[in-house]
Amino acid sequence: MRAVKHAAALWMSLMMLFMVMASSAEEATASDLGEDYTPPPGQYATLAEMGDKRIGIPNGTSFDLMVNRMFPNARKPVFNSQSDLLQALTTDKIDAFPSDEPVIRYIMGQRNDVTYIPEYLEPFELAYCFPKTGEGAKLCGEFSEFIDCMREDGRLAATQEKWFGTDESAKTMPDWRSLPAINGTVVLATDGDYVPFEYVRDNEVVGYDIDIAAQFCAEYGYALRIEVMNFDAVVPAVQTGKCNVGGSALTITPERAENVLFSSPNYTGGVVLVVKAVESGGGTSIAESFERTFIREGRWKLFGEGVLVTLLITLLTILLGTVLGFGVFMVCRNGSRIANGVTRCCSTLIQGMPMVVLLMILYYVVFRSVNISGIIVAVIGMTLSFGSAVFGMLKMGVGAVDPGQYEAAYALGHTNRQTFFRVILPQAIPHVLPAYQGEIVSLIKATAIVGYIGVLDLTKMGDIVRSRTFEAFFPLIAVTVIYFALEAIFIFAVSRIGKAMDPKKRKKGKILKGVKTDD
Amino acid sequence: MIKIEHLRKEYPGTIPLKDVSVEIRDGDVISVIGPSGTGKSTLLRCINQLEKPTSGRVWVNDEEITAPGCDITRVRQKMGMVFQSFNLFGHMTVIENIMLSPVKLQGASRQAAYDRGMELLRMVGLGEKAMSYPDELSGGQKQRAAIARTLAMDPDIILLDEPTSALDPTMVGEVQAVIRELAKSGKTMMIVTHEMNFARAISNRVFYMDEGGIYEEGTPEQIFEDPQREKTRRFIRRLKVLEILIRSGDFDFPGAYGEIQRYCLRNQVPFRMMQHIQLAFEELVQQTLFPGEASPDIEVGVEYSEADESCTMTVRSGGPSRNPLDRQEDLSLSVLKSAAAQASYEWREGEERPNRIVLRIAP
Repeated sequence: MRAVKHAAALWMSLMMLFMVMASSAEEATASDLGEDYTPPPGQYATLAEMGDKRIGIPNGTSFDLMVNRMFPNARKPVFNSQSDLLQALTTDKIDAFPSDEPVIRYIMGQRNDVTYIPEYLEPFELAYCFPKTGEGAKLCGEFSEFIDCMREDGRLAATQEKWFGTDESAKTMPDWRSLPAINGTVVLATDGDYVPFEYVRDNEVVGYDIDIAAQFCAEYGYALRIEVMNFDAVVPAVQTGKCNVGGSALTITPERAENVLFSSPNYTGGVVLVVKAVESGGGTSIAESFERTFIREGRWKLFGEGVLVTLLITLLTILLGTVLGFGVFMVCRNGSRIANGVTRCCSTLIQGMPMVVLLMILYYVVFRSVNISGIIVAVIGMTLSFGSAVFGMLKMGVGAVDPGQYEAAYALGHTNRQTFFRVILPQAIPHVLPAYQGEIVSLIKATAIVGYIGVLDLTKMGDIVRSRTFEAFFPLIAVTVIYFALEAIFIFAVSRIGKAMDPKKRKKGKILKGVKTDD
Repeated sequence: MIKIEHLRKEYPGTIPLKDVSVEIRDGDVISVIGPSGTGKSTLLRCINQLEKPTSGRVWVNDEEITAPGCDITRVRQKMGMVFQSFNLFGHMTVIENIMLSPVKLQGASRQAAYDRGMELLRMVGLGEKAMSYPDELSGGQKQRAAIARTLAMDPDIILLDEPTSALDPTMVGEVQAVIRELAKSGKTMMIVTHEMNFARAISNRVFYMDEGGIYEEGTPEQIFEDPQREKTRRFIRRLKVLEILIRSGDFDFPGAYGEIQRYCLRNQVPFRMMQHIQLAFEELVQQTLFPGEASPDIEVGVEYSEADESCTMTVRSGGPSRNPLDRQEDLSLSVLKSAAAQASYEWREGEERPNRIVLRIAP
């Protein structure tokens, strides 16, 4: 039931989305579990005990409405992800948190220190979503038909058994990469860190939602492409047509249905409260955590891929941003009013905007109808921001050079351009370099948000690993250490360049190149 | 060689050059002197177009450089400039500063530029500093290096804008010695300076600038020994002038004494002399000239020369001829004589105020 994000306020204003809170939501009451399964005993046994406890809420989901309704007196701290909630629960920062039943069942297969209260807070239905367009409606119809058919012939139950069970080796995916695009391509938006609905295993996106989508594509003659992004981004991606199917354990709700189309539900279940188990079988050892975080399923490769993506974005941004900032500076240098006015407007806009917002505007608004990789959009957005920082630095650095230097060069007969390149710029660069280094560090840190536009960078990969291991320590430490290492490398490189460019550190032979001296 | 016609330069709120027309001949060494703010530097900077003149024209060797489309960078290559603040390029060694322009602009080989650069550096006494950076040099050394840099382009004329003003007094001499050598070598030069003795020693022409133009021009002898015009004379003798005009029977005498006192303090007139000025003013003007007049018309000028610490008071008045110094028995007059070392009366027919009394104030 994660899905009903009541769209972050940001989105509301930004995308002009009109999202009406579902005030007419059905009065849900606690009901018994439908399945024949009893979870192990926990610290609390019934929902009735939870009235005044601390119940953690995953940020931006509809869980908080539900919890508010059922436990008006409970304290409700907000957390960012399921992994964070688990961490908070086991360290006694909260007493419980809401979760979809299959998800917590899966987690309990991984660790035995949590359990849940065997009562539903609310039942729910999960489905795929589609853009509200003619094509979307057609695809939606086909999906619904397929899901209904699967339910009839038992394939849906079989798929559920496969993915919600504990036997990981049985959880195989049909081959979906080589499907021919007879009737088109399904571009599936998913978030990839919600076991067992969609998650990354052996560096591949798998899971219940993905499996069904793949089966659908095989049967209806579609090719399949999977776009992994932050959960917040899934519905906007579908709504704006960047992807034509959203499959991310999305709950069907009236407010959501105003913005996207929903297929027949592919899963029906309920929300439960997760609590600490009474008997935990002892914590996991550090070696085991390490093994789980890095070794199992070759997860270190995920970190590796994330580093490469972060590095790629950073490098391209530094190169292009420097070129952009320098180019704009050259145009504005001689005080053209128009050029300066335009530049001032643009850089005020870019620098005054949170990077996340800038990236999302680029991805969902500017390049809405262009099929463009999130990495390119990230590079464009970061380049704009980095370029405007470079422009500002150059302006400051060049401004710090004594005006007498211009006059002396002019008086000797150098043109304006020659003066700039021969005399002014070499003296401005030492003023600029320290700020430039700082800007690069900020840039590396800023890349951590590209997960919002579907880029699997280092941070996002860390999240994906955490969503599998349900442990915070190693993935977070690993990500932190890698960021520090990247920053150190860039700082080192820039200071080397700075030293190489420092005119006062040249050797005599270089200064007097091509000259025979008498001594 | 350089001809300037009706040059005018306006800045928002001030007009340093109103109308300047002058010709600079080959081989001239011209000193430009004058109080600050009278457009000396502006004139120099208009010649090589570092400042764009508001109007007027400048010719260099029969080419109008103020014409639109004139390639000023080419003209500047033959027109060196030495700045008050040296402006050596901070990221280059001294020899690179000198080599840069000949190599990049005149296509000289690096070797030729280096050899010529070293020759010039030795000429200005900096042969050992070729590989130093500007921030390792003293002010005097910097300015000498800057002069060498200017000479490396072999300019037809060198403009020097207060070349010693930013220097420690101990370093003025070394830079002046280099400039003096240059002047002797026959280079055409124009130098803005506040060093009168230096100006006098090196130049063949002196421009005294004031009132938005060249106020008086002449040979050093004419300007320094026998300036023809009032402001030139005041400047050369470093005269500080106070003027008081009395044209009403209700004149504010206490206010006038205050004014005299402020003038004396500002110009560091010795205390005794200040007392004498006030005494002379009181006895001659307030007690003697003023009382008899129904509609007074008296102009009092006080001139203090910083150069020789002497002070003169000139009192001019209208009306019929009368010499107050005649009245031997007058008490005021005897007091006046203690304040003035010398007093004289003169009738100047045809002037606005023909009665003229000149007092040399006692020290």
